[in-house]
Amino acid sequence: MKYQRYIEEKLRKSFILWGYEEVRSPTIEYVETLSTDLGSELAQSMFKFQDFDGRILALRPEMTTPVARMITTRMFSTPEPIRLFYISNVFRYSRSYVERGREFWQAGVELVGCGGNRADGEVISLLASSLRELGLNQLRLDLGHAGLFKEVQKSARLDPEKEQIFRTLVGRRDRVELEKFISRNDFSSELKNLVLELCEIRKLREAASALYRRCGFRKAKRFAKALSAVAGVLSDHHLEDEVYFDFSLARRIEYYTGIVFEASVPGFGFSIGGGGRYDDLLWKLSEIRIPAVGFAVEMEKCLQALHSQGCELSTTPDDIVRVLVSSTSNERAVETASLLRESGVVAITDVANRTRKKLIEYGKLARMNYVVIVESDRKRPWVIYDVRSGMKKSLPVKAFLQEICRSRGR
Amino acid sequence: MKSKIRIAVPNKGRLKQPTIDILRRSGIRILERERVYNSETSNSRFQVSFMRAFDIPLYVQYGAADLGFTGHDIIVERDADVLELLDVGFGRCNLVVAVPRNSQIRAIEDVTDVPRVATEYPNTSRRFFASKGKQVEILTVRGATELAPILGLAEIIVDVSTTGETLAKNNLRQIAIVLESSCRFVCNKIAYRTFEREVKELIDRLKRGER
Repeated sequence: MKYQRYIEEKLRKSFILWGYEEVRSPTIEYVETLSTDLGSELAQSMFKFQDFDGRILALRPEMTTPVARMITTRMFSTPEPIRLFYISNVFRYSRSYVERGREFWQAGVELVGCGGNRADGEVISLLASSLRELGLNQLRLDLGHAGLFKEVQKSARLDPEKEQIFRTLVGRRDRVELEKFISRNDFSSELKNLVLELCEIRKLREAASALYRRCGFRKAKRFAKALSAVAGVLSDHHLEDEVYFDFSLARRIEYYTGIVFEASVPGFGFSIGGGGRYDDLLWKLSEIRIPAVGFAVEMEKCLQALHSQGCELSTTPDDIVRVLVSSTSNERAVETASLLRESGVVAITDVANRTRKKLIEYGKLARMNYVVIVESDRKRPWVIYDVRSGMKKSLPVKAFLQEICRSRGR
Repeated sequence: MKSKIRIAVPNKGRLKQPTIDILRRSGIRILERERVYNSETSNSRFQVSFMRAFDIPLYVQYGAADLGFTGHDIIVERDADVLELLDVGFGRCNLVVAVPRNSQIRAIEDVTDVPRVATEYPNTSRRFFASKGKQVEILTVRGATELAPILGLAEIIVDVSTTGETLAKNNLRQIAIVLESSCRFVCNKIAYRTFEREVKELIDRLKRGER
């Protein structure tokens, strides 16, 4: 738990420093709200059940839709752009024989009410900065464009089934099968060349220039402009070299309309987080057109990635002192513990009535700094065992508290 | 220093030797291969790890190995989310449904009454019969699947068949093909990003080294 707490606190601190406010949403919502524009894969992965009146409820499978719903129903008067973050558990049913988890902790932000590239840049930059703050090295971001991908599919006039196949082939990076698919489905030669070129390009500006050069479909120039604008803001954030273009990055969720991105580190086999722009979701929930962009990171994955990089987490701050208090008189033990807590010391009373020897053994195991034995006579000094050094001494209360203050100052 | 790229190689069975050979033809000679799990190679960028072909999709999906060689049938059975970058050509086989020669069942359509199916591929089999609208009871066995109908454990088996010889020897008849398989060169999704240049170069060399 302390490691999870470390991740949580670090991320919370980053999000707060960037001006985001924490929100909490209900775990259970109506299934139709949660599945708005989610895409079949994620919608099918929801745990669903009935309310008393027969309406279908579900456990939230992700947080973007619940947050968007909160904005449309409760935050009418908040001035835009609205900056929100959450640290929550989400629930997914998995058919996979490998992935057995059902509950996942996510931390994420949503920047709502602003459609420009600067907002995109801020969110990507916050993702990079908060992951670096956790201690992750050699961070890498891959960026695609959901709108571009959808437009290419539209220009190729693929039916939904073929769209799925196309997406899978591009995602699997199977060039041979992709070329076969393209020639079977009568892509124009410009579109074919553009798709094959985009699959190989890793620099945003190169992708933009390929779109300018090749055109390939009606709106190509518009996407070219969009991608070079993103490259521009990323360079303002000194991120241009860490962000790679990936045409195949079509995230599983339907609601994305613009840029989509994923974060990863070498040597860890999964992406740790990602997000994108979703300009239509709030409109679909409330018929108010509000553009938005956000990301979520998987907290367990962050932890595993940190471990895979051999990162030692400093989870307990050095200035926390832990004391185990024991006395033949329970009243005195309770009183002493209160006194210590008032001075900001973590105090535990021995409720198991251990002998001195056992008490010190337990103190070591429970990572205590001191074991304090208090006589029932108030006038007598405390007997204090320093667990780490093994030293024993008798000290009056005041002197002991002063010693603790000094050790904290170090 | 750049971290090494780890390739998972089958430690036994019919995919082992052809994998070692194709790697050698692609300029990656495995330096030690007797009784070791990990070995350096003649190419300092690559290390190999030997493991069961059945576990390779798992190691690669989790990124414990960056690259690997394993059967398409195993990837499907493991439901692994890995990139199948190349069909390396060897290890061709079919995953087939077979019944005893004297069985009343002549085709999948004849399956009735929830028969028992013995297989090493429970997930693939379950999906296959479900897609045909047939209800069956799947019994997972570890090897020697052909024995199951002989001793009456199951009426049907789903197993790998290369030439059909083993089936014939055990008086079994193939009634359907579940999946056509061959050995694939697979890659972890993140490793593809991290080592794209090296992976693409290796694919080119593997293609040239194919027979």
